[in-house]
Amino acid sequence: MNPLLTPELGTYVWSLVIFMTVLFVLRKYAWNPLLDFLEEREKDIAESLKMAESAKTDLEQIKDESEKILNEAKKEGKAIVGDSKQRAEESAAKILNDAKAKSNEFLDDAKSKIEIEKTRAIKEIKEEVIDLSLELATKVLQRNVKDDDNSKFIKSSLEAVKVDEAKS
Amino acid sequence: MFVGEKVGKEWTMDQAPQYAIDHVANSKKNIFEFEFLNSLSEKISSFFGLTSDSLFYIDLGITKHVFLLFFVSTIVVATLITFIQAYISHKKNIPNKFMSIIEMFVIYLRDDVLKNFIGAKEYRDWAPLIYTIFFFVLFGNVLGLIPIFDLSGLIGKIGYQADMLSKDNILYLLSKGGHTVTANVNVTFAIATITFFAFIGAGIQKYGFIQHWKNLAPSGLPWPLYFVVVPIEFMGLFIRPLALTLRLAGNMMGGHIALVIFITFIFSATAELGGLAGFGIAPFSISLALGLTMLELLVAVIQAYVFALLTAVFIGMAIHVDH
Repeated sequence: MNPLLTPELGTYVWSLVIFMTVLFVLRKYAWNPLLDFLEEREKDIAESLKMAESAKTDLEQIKDESEKILNEAKKEGKAIVGDSKQRAEESAAKILNDAKAKSNEFLDDAKSKIEIEKTRAIKEIKEEVIDLSLELATKVLQRNVKDDDNSKFIKSSLEAVKVDEAKS
Repeated sequence: MFVGEKVGKEWTMDQAPQYAIDHVANSKKNIFEFEFLNSLSEKISSFFGLTSDSLFYIDLGITKHVFLLFFVSTIVVATLITFIQAYISHKKNIPNKFMSIIEMFVIYLRDDVLKNFIGAKEYRDWAPLIYTIFFFVLFGNVLGLIPIFDLSGLIGKIGYQADMLSKDNILYLLSKGGHTVTANVNVTFAIATITFFAFIGAGIQKYGFIQHWKNLAPSGLPWPLYFVVVPIEFMGLFIRPLALTLRLAGNMMGGHIALVIFITFIFSATAELGGLAGFGIAPFSISLALGLTMLELLVAVIQAYVFALLTAVFIGMAIHVDH
């Protein structure tokens, strides 16, 4: 028989025994731990990838939110500035108006006071004029004058006063 | 058998084939003699009614291939457990160079072979078997390519010239016979036997004993066809492990025989045509042998992969009956 194909039962039995031993030893100390380890590592990788993904979306969300907040703050700030400006303008206008109104009031008051003073002064002058004219008349009347002359004179004097009154 | 042992002696060209066969075959003599193994062999064989001159006598003696089986299995177990345990206990998640090669094979076999053919759910039951077959056969193939025992023959020849003649020197005995365990049909048949029981076991585990055997033939055929299909399927059951046996052993054997034949060109040329012709043919012969060794490295990986792949395919076929 060809030595390459001779059945050697001893070698066969030894092969079986040795292979089975190797199988059990490796199964316990190599393959099962390694497969567990690889599975765990793959799970870890998948999980961390997922986490990275979610972190990325979270970050984007946060970025969006912060931008929104910033925009709102800007808008609000603008609104506040605008509002206060308007209010300041309003109050300035009001103050100005008040001042104008008060000054006008003062002016009017002064004018009316001047008017009153003026009329009083005119009245006093008139009384003075009448007194003076009466004094003058008495001095003139030191000489004898007829009644006719008297009445004529009084009448013309009165008219003159009236004309003066109308003029003033 | 270490090449060049007979140079300058009684070499003739027609010795080359026998020499090459001797290089691949198991040693005829036991390397180590253990009395208890011999008596155990006697007891087992006499239980079956066999005598030592029978072909099927179970000789548990440590021949060269049995010794090599121990050698290979020790290296496989030591290497894999050392690297894998170091890798796992480190928790660094980054394998070193050798470990990344192991991991590449493991992940490739898991994703492309185990999950594909056996199934994503069931693969964990069979993964250790497939991995062990792959690495055991791979280490057996590759260690056969390293001429460690040819070296022992050379050392024996140079260092123990006198003892070599006694034919009992360990170095001399180690140089007898090939050192590729996977080129021995008995070894590959043993692994194929395990494959055989694995795919039958897988079917029984999934479908129960009776249903598994019913699954052998597809249901729903016209009944006369069963007379053809059932014997074919039944024969197929036994042909599968036989094909595995012969494929691996044949591949390993063929490569090594060709390798030895290429080297013996030098001796044949020297014997027939003189020393100058031997020198002339040496570069040609050595470059052929070198190229073939490279090819054999490739074959070593491919055959280990094929054995593991086919085992996975057979287990998958038993589990997923709907072909």
